[in-house]
Amino acid sequence: MTRKRFVILSLVPAIGLLATLAVVSIAGAVWFALMNRTLRSPDYDFVGAYNFLRLLRDHRFFNALEISAIWELVTVTGTLVVAVLLAVLIFETVKKPLWRNLISFAFLVPVLLPRVAAAFIWRFLYSPSLGAINYLLSLVGIGPVEFLADPSLALVSVAIVDIWQWGLFFTVILLKLMETLPRDPIEAAKLDNARTWEIHAYITLPMLKGPLISLALVKAVESLRSFDLIFVMTGGGPGTATETLDLYAYQMGINMGGRISYASAMSILLLIVTTVAFTIIWKAGKKWAN
Amino acid sequence: MRKTHLLFGTALCALATQGYAQDGMACKGTLPALNVIAQGMPAVTALDAHLSEFNDKWGTEVKITMLGENERRAKARLDASTGAGSYQVVYIDEANLAEYVSADWIYPLADVVPESYDLADFRTDLSNVATVDGVQYFAPFVGGGDVMMYRKDLLEAKGIAVPKTLDELVAAVKALNDPEGGVYGWSARGQRGSGMNVWRWTPFFRAEGGEWLDGDMPAFNSEAGVKATEVYMDMMQSSPPGVATFNWSDSVEAFRGGQVAILIESDVFGPWMEDQEKSSIVGKVGYAPPPDPLPSAGWSHGWAVSKSGAAEDCAKTIAGDFVGWATSKEMEQNRLAAGIASDIGRVSTLQSDGFKALVPQEYIDALLDTGPKTSLLIMASPVWPEIGDTLGLTLEELFAGTRDDVQAALDEAAFFAEESLMRVK
Repeated sequence: MTRKRFVILSLVPAIGLLATLAVVSIAGAVWFALMNRTLRSPDYDFVGAYNFLRLLRDHRFFNALEISAIWELVTVTGTLVVAVLLAVLIFETVKKPLWRNLISFAFLVPVLLPRVAAAFIWRFLYSPSLGAINYLLSLVGIGPVEFLADPSLALVSVAIVDIWQWGLFFTVILLKLMETLPRDPIEAAKLDNARTWEIHAYITLPMLKGPLISLALVKAVESLRSFDLIFVMTGGGPGTATETLDLYAYQMGINMGGRISYASAMSILLLIVTTVAFTIIWKAGKKWAN
Repeated sequence: MRKTHLLFGTALCALATQGYAQDGMACKGTLPALNVIAQGMPAVTALDAHLSEFNDKWGTEVKITMLGENERRAKARLDASTGAGSYQVVYIDEANLAEYVSADWIYPLADVVPESYDLADFRTDLSNVATVDGVQYFAPFVGGGDVMMYRKDLLEAKGIAVPKTLDELVAAVKALNDPEGGVYGWSARGQRGSGMNVWRWTPFFRAEGGEWLDGDMPAFNSEAGVKATEVYMDMMQSSPPGVATFNWSDSVEAFRGGQVAILIESDVFGPWMEDQEKSSIVGKVGYAPPPDPLPSAGWSHGWAVSKSGAAEDCAKTIAGDFVGWATSKEMEQNRLAAGIASDIGRVSTLQSDGFKALVPQEYIDALLDTGPKTSLLIMASPVWPEIGDTLGLTLEELFAGTRDDVQAALDEAAFFAEESLMRVK
């Protein structure tokens, strides 16, 4: 048996299983999307592209698309910025391995919390009348701030929880990566009297370009699945200020009239949009890394 | 001869009863788990202490899945509509009963619950809500109408009389609002949902003379709808911060925490205010019917047996017995003994000394005075959850300020409702 044949034979069962699972669910969604199936009644008819055409006239769908895009941008950028800043800060200020490990352990706790638990904790912290954050703000004469009821603040307030969970986790990863970097280029820069920020901006972070791109992609995929966090904290509200596409699909397909076909059409469009977007981002990232 | 007939008849009856009992008990041990979907009302959580009794009787294990109201509705509907049948017993309420009955997802109550549980003893106002075309479908254990709760101490301090009309209420709420002093005049539900903000908005809509339908067409975008929304939003100005997304729990806890002067809520929350452990305003609360012309929103929650979940005879028998047992007179007395006076489904319990000992006479008087004003105010239609949820979203947008044209917002919700109503025909 040649090596190539062995590789193919080893991969076929796993890929076959994954492909079957994906194909069955996607085919099911496409089938539903072409019908007018609702949860209330077992009868349904073929309606062709009606569900897709209706989506194009649905301003709530476009709002959800916009919110999803903003959510991706804010959470991915926020997570990476927080992770890079904190990793550099700890790398420069905490030199003892014991302290670094303790900090790393503490930073891992938020991501280990179930999302729903984190959402409830923060919902309580944000409460205008009973929450700790508003209590602290009131000490300096600010507030009460309606973090989750103010449409202009709600999305950012929920994004902060996401960044709190993932930004701290990524900090630990980046810190450990920085510790493994070769010391020579850094020592050389120091001899040339480079400032600390210059060392990181021009030497350490460019050396970590590959891992940073991977982390960004991992976070981008993870951010697409923030349904639980948003659902518990705001339910998509106030109004539709935090209603992402998956939340809207849920509201339409299950929570509201059970328009399962309409929700399926939305899922199919979401699948297409994300596949295209991620392919472009992946290719651009690869080019940049090289 | 007559004697022989009588004996024969008695023997037949005895045989039948025995046969029924044997049939029933033959089911013991046939159902490893009885799955129940529920919402965390006191009547449900109080069952925990007694479940072992039911488990021993039927050799089963009752597993109660507890969810929030909106989530419970969504999950139960998904389970019934797909025919998955994971739950033998489902938690039904006034908003989704029409949908469950029209889709044939649940058994009529009398077909599954043994007569020995005295179905006639359920409160008439709750049974009416549980009934479609003369057939009762769920066994109610909680429900009622609205009651106005007010802080006697705050009203007295400002020399304000208990409001008797809506205008007086609005004036009182504004006069009592004192955010600097940590007290707000009013609180309300803002969060979207047919059973959430729409539920509390509906009495205001009805008070303005609003009707849901004009023929087959939605009509809640009428002048009455606009006026009701404006009054509701005006009163929200005198409410705690964040009210635009308050659910009933936020609202009730704000009142119970001493932050709110007047609240109109479902009457079951009355006894919550007298809970020594959780309420900071025990003894300071007065109760009265909602001021005229506000009607009282009738509602009822209860248990029903799912057709897809309990398709087998034994599952049906055990699920039916659970519904009867969980809503029985004895169970209500157990709750009273545990200090829970909020969830009452039976006339006999209302008349019992145990109930009278737990709540102030003023509350019982307010309940009796409100009774005639109570009726089902929502649209009795299988598509109500969908129409109500869309209206709820629109109202939440208005409350939160993401849109400000009330008429245009209601027109949009009515336009959506038109499509939903078309599909039900």
